[in-house]
Amino acid sequence: MTRPGGRAQPGPREEGTVWNQGSLRAQRLRAAYLFMLPGMTFFLIFYLYPLIQALRISLYEWSIMPGQDSRFVGAANYLRALRDPIFWISMRNTVLYTAVTVPGQMILAMLVALALHAIPRWRVLFRTLYYLPVITSWVVAALLFKFLFHSQSGLINYLLVDVLHLSDHYIPWLQNPETALVAIMTLGVWKGIGWSMVIFLAALQDIPLELYEAAALDGAGRWGRFRYITLPMMRPTAIFVLVMLVIGGFNVFLPVYLMTGGAPMHRTETLLTYMYNEAFNFLDFGYGAALSYMLAILIFLLSFIQIKLLRRPMEL
Amino acid sequence: MCQPKAFAFRIGIGWMLLALLAAACAPAAAPTPGPSPTPVVVERVVTPTPTPKGPVTITFWHAYNPEETKVFNEQVLPAFHQKFPNIRIEAQQVPYDEFRRKLLTSIAGGTAPDVIRSDIIWVPELAAMGALEALDVIMPDFNAYKEKVFPGPLSTNLWQGHYYGLPLDTNTRLLMWNKEMYAAAGIAEPPKTIDEFLRVCERIKALGRDKYCFADGGTYGWAVLPWIWSFGGDLTDPEMKTASGYVNGPDTVAAYEFLKGMLDKGYLHPGILGGGVDTAGGFARDEIANLLEGPWMPAIFAAQYPQKQIQWALMPAGKGGSISVVGGEDIVLFKQSRNKEAALEFIRFMLSPEAQLMMARAGQVPVRTDVIEQAVQAQPYFALFFEQLKTARARLPHPNWPKIEDLLTSTGQAILRGEKGAKEALDELAPKIDALLKQQ
Amino acid sequence: MVTNPKRQIVEVAVLYLLLGAGAVAMVLPLLYMVSTALKGPVYVLEIPPRFIPERLTLANFIEAWNSNNFSLYFRNSAVVALSTTVISVLCSAMLAYAFARFEFPGKDLAFYAILFTLMIPSLTLIIPQFMLARALGLRNSLAGLVFVYVAMTIPLNTFLLRGFIEQLPRELEEAVWIDGGGYGTIFLRITLPLSAPALATAAIFTFLFAWEEFTWALTAIDVEAMRTLPVAIATFHGAHLTQWGLVFAASLIAIAPVIFLYVMLQRYFIVGLSAGALKG
Repeated sequence: MTRPGGRAQPGPREEGTVWNQGSLRAQRLRAAYLFMLPGMTFFLIFYLYPLIQALRISLYEWSIMPGQDSRFVGAANYLRALRDPIFWISMRNTVLYTAVTVPGQMILAMLVALALHAIPRWRVLFRTLYYLPVITSWVVAALLFKFLFHSQSGLINYLLVDVLHLSDHYIPWLQNPETALVAIMTLGVWKGIGWSMVIFLAALQDIPLELYEAAALDGAGRWGRFRYITLPMMRPTAIFVLVMLVIGGFNVFLPVYLMTGGAPMHRTETLLTYMYNEAFNFLDFGYGAALSYMLAILIFLLSFIQIKLLRRPMEL
Repeated sequence: MCQPKAFAFRIGIGWMLLALLAAACAPAAAPTPGPSPTPVVVERVVTPTPTPKGPVTITFWHAYNPEETKVFNEQVLPAFHQKFPNIRIEAQQVPYDEFRRKLLTSIAGGTAPDVIRSDIIWVPELAAMGALEALDVIMPDFNAYKEKVFPGPLSTNLWQGHYYGLPLDTNTRLLMWNKEMYAAAGIAEPPKTIDEFLRVCERIKALGRDKYCFADGGTYGWAVLPWIWSFGGDLTDPEMKTASGYVNGPDTVAAYEFLKGMLDKGYLHPGILGGGVDTAGGFARDEIANLLEGPWMPAIFAAQYPQKQIQWALMPAGKGGSISVVGGEDIVLFKQSRNKEAALEFIRFMLSPEAQLMMARAGQVPVRTDVIEQAVQAQPYFALFFEQLKTARARLPHPNWPKIEDLLTSTGQAILRGEKGAKEALDELAPKIDALLKQQ
Repeated sequence: MVTNPKRQIVEVAVLYLLLGAGAVAMVLPLLYMVSTALKGPVYVLEIPPRFIPERLTLANFIEAWNSNNFSLYFRNSAVVALSTTVISVLCSAMLAYAFARFEFPGKDLAFYAILFTLMIPSLTLIIPQFMLARALGLRNSLAGLVFVYVAMTIPLNTFLLRGFIEQLPRELEEAVWIDGGGYGTIFLRITLPLSAPALATAAIFTFLFAWEEFTWALTAIDVEAMRTLPVAIATFHGAHLTQWGLVFAASLIAIAPVIFLYVMLQRYFIVGLSAGALKG
């Protein structure tokens, strides 16, 4: 068998490098690195380098005007965050948003997936409809929901007051922090259900029928089959979805930025909207970088913990 | 025997280290040795020949509303281009709400525009940052313009002894009252004092649950200061050294309690709490009886609600008199600009009687003293604005005003929502403002 | 299993009903948006809200398209999205191929680095990316958008494609070796064509991401000539705060290509997503 295009002997020098060795091994390595080059270049320059640079910025009182010093302040920005009431408010909101929208999306998505799995026809149609919110851009969706929750002429208020008579006055949704958060979370759930649903559905369809038949033969009822076959088989998928949704939840920015901008009184700020505000409205880059780094570490730890805790070998 | 494995592994680590190294050595904002806070350096620029050679483009950002933009694009710009065929103005309309953020981002990014029509409250901050050129230094005929404009608006450009811009237009808030609603409530004349104002509100409220005597968009400076000042209160002492005793003084407290009372009694539209209120639409639909508005309203109403008439009156007077808040815009030049000569020509043009009167037709009150009569002839309602402008006051010309206002707005919200009493909330606010005032 | 046919029919009917109700909840807001856009210029919002407009008119759409440079923003978004998609998918495919078919030192490290970044909110990096763009002179340029978007989409695309490529049969590649071809030939002639479904999915998600990305576009660009659609929509909203019909007309124009792509290429949206998720 002829070797593709290389010299037959390895190079004579002892410290041959990948680049001047002619052996098959070196060829392979060379090829591997070449393939990786373009992608890794982009990744390193525009992703990894900024990641490290962000840490550096967070340790300074950073000044962006040319000709002005940046002062090294060490951990001062981080300590400032811990003492900042708005930081805690935004943290609370971020956690709250995640804690509500993630289970909301997952449970509803699961229910829909189960229902879709059980019906004989029109599955594709329903799947398409449920996925439509997912592909609507966040900008458009946020504006749409801002409109829906409008206090004077929004559809939601109309339904609540004039149709269902659940309330006797129009609720000023985006004026009060509590109701504003409800509106924002509704948007989050509405937009995300389709994504999880599609994944769950695919996973459901992967479960071999024989398992169900065997269980049925053993006398398991519908609930039993669900509990002992479906749920365990779905576990890895559910974990994946959970991790992704939690990351997405902590990442929340656009819905808040576009619907309330953090108002009133910074009560609906999330960590990222606060960071962006501090950085680009007050040009406090150092503080903004510290905030985003804290969030990044938090998310990373959370994901790590989730995966470690929840991954258990499947029992068959 | 070579060790490709180890070496290649080192390459992998090498990537990481490269990134780290690059990060560590990356140029920061070029550090120049100097005391901090860095004083703003004002350079003497010897101006060369006035006419630029070759076509030059000047970027100009503004926040004109659609009607004003129309006049600007269709009348002012063509006139300028005709007079200066070598200079091209690239005008960009930026919505007010994002103007400051976008501007700061562009300054930080090194791509600031050449000239902007800046809200007067941003000029001290921009000047303190070192972003603006001192016009009194770089513009040889500055004094000629200085003498032709109103001193009040001119003063908004002053920072540490230099003028960093020229006023472009000025405005203030007048009481805009709804004749139809007043008539329905049996009132013939608008109120002259705050007490009369309250009585008007009682009668308006009697018209219906969803009828409001007054509405405003929030508790920011523009909204609350006319009330604070007319009540005789203030935010700080005249030298801007301290807020304690002023922002939490009895008159300021009284002003906030007045607003809270208005809200509780249903006279003040709950939109002030932040949910957004369509003030113009509400006025047009006879749901809101009074607004504090500016000279741009007639043009807006002509376009959107042509059926509805507007009436103007002075700000209701309180213990401190009838004091409204000065607004307006200044025209400023950025240090980052590469075509300063051409930019100055544009600035001169915008301050010419011609341009000032053109924009007057869109509701922009001119700043030149020599065009008042023509302006009032073109827009009779300007007369009352000029009257109010005699006593109108400017918001704090302090570089930390945005942060101060942020706190003021939050405090106002807390008071109106009943979360804290006015005195309590303002007592908490005072030391925070003191701290911000000290930072220069 | 003994099933009561009647009961089954009832159950299925109930399921359809519930699913239908859910679907309505999903789609209703979008329909409302369409109906508002078709209502023509209104400054006053009507109560009770009407779904079917009294008079159908395209006035809003025409005004949105004509008012300040909408076609320019559309073109900018298209250029950015297409460039990002081509570059990102190509680079990711190459990266994925390297991970799938080669063993080399540093492989695990690199792969985990890429995976690790998936967990970090991309917004975290906006400050240093901003400064980097300034230093490289990339602000106010479409290239500045493309480079960052490519970097942001490479991790997920690589992840997706690697799983797929690993599963491709090796016999075809060995045949190429025997015929004297090299890695390049294998990649171009075998791997890429066989990965078409995964490439399509990656391309679609990348395109979607680049088309609707907002925050970086907002921060990196302040010149109107380079503006992209999402920022234009938000600015539009800010400039016409009460003219919802107009804003929605603009929004619909912006998401039209996406909806079109979705309807045409539905399979790839959904199949690829689930495949990637399940094998993850």
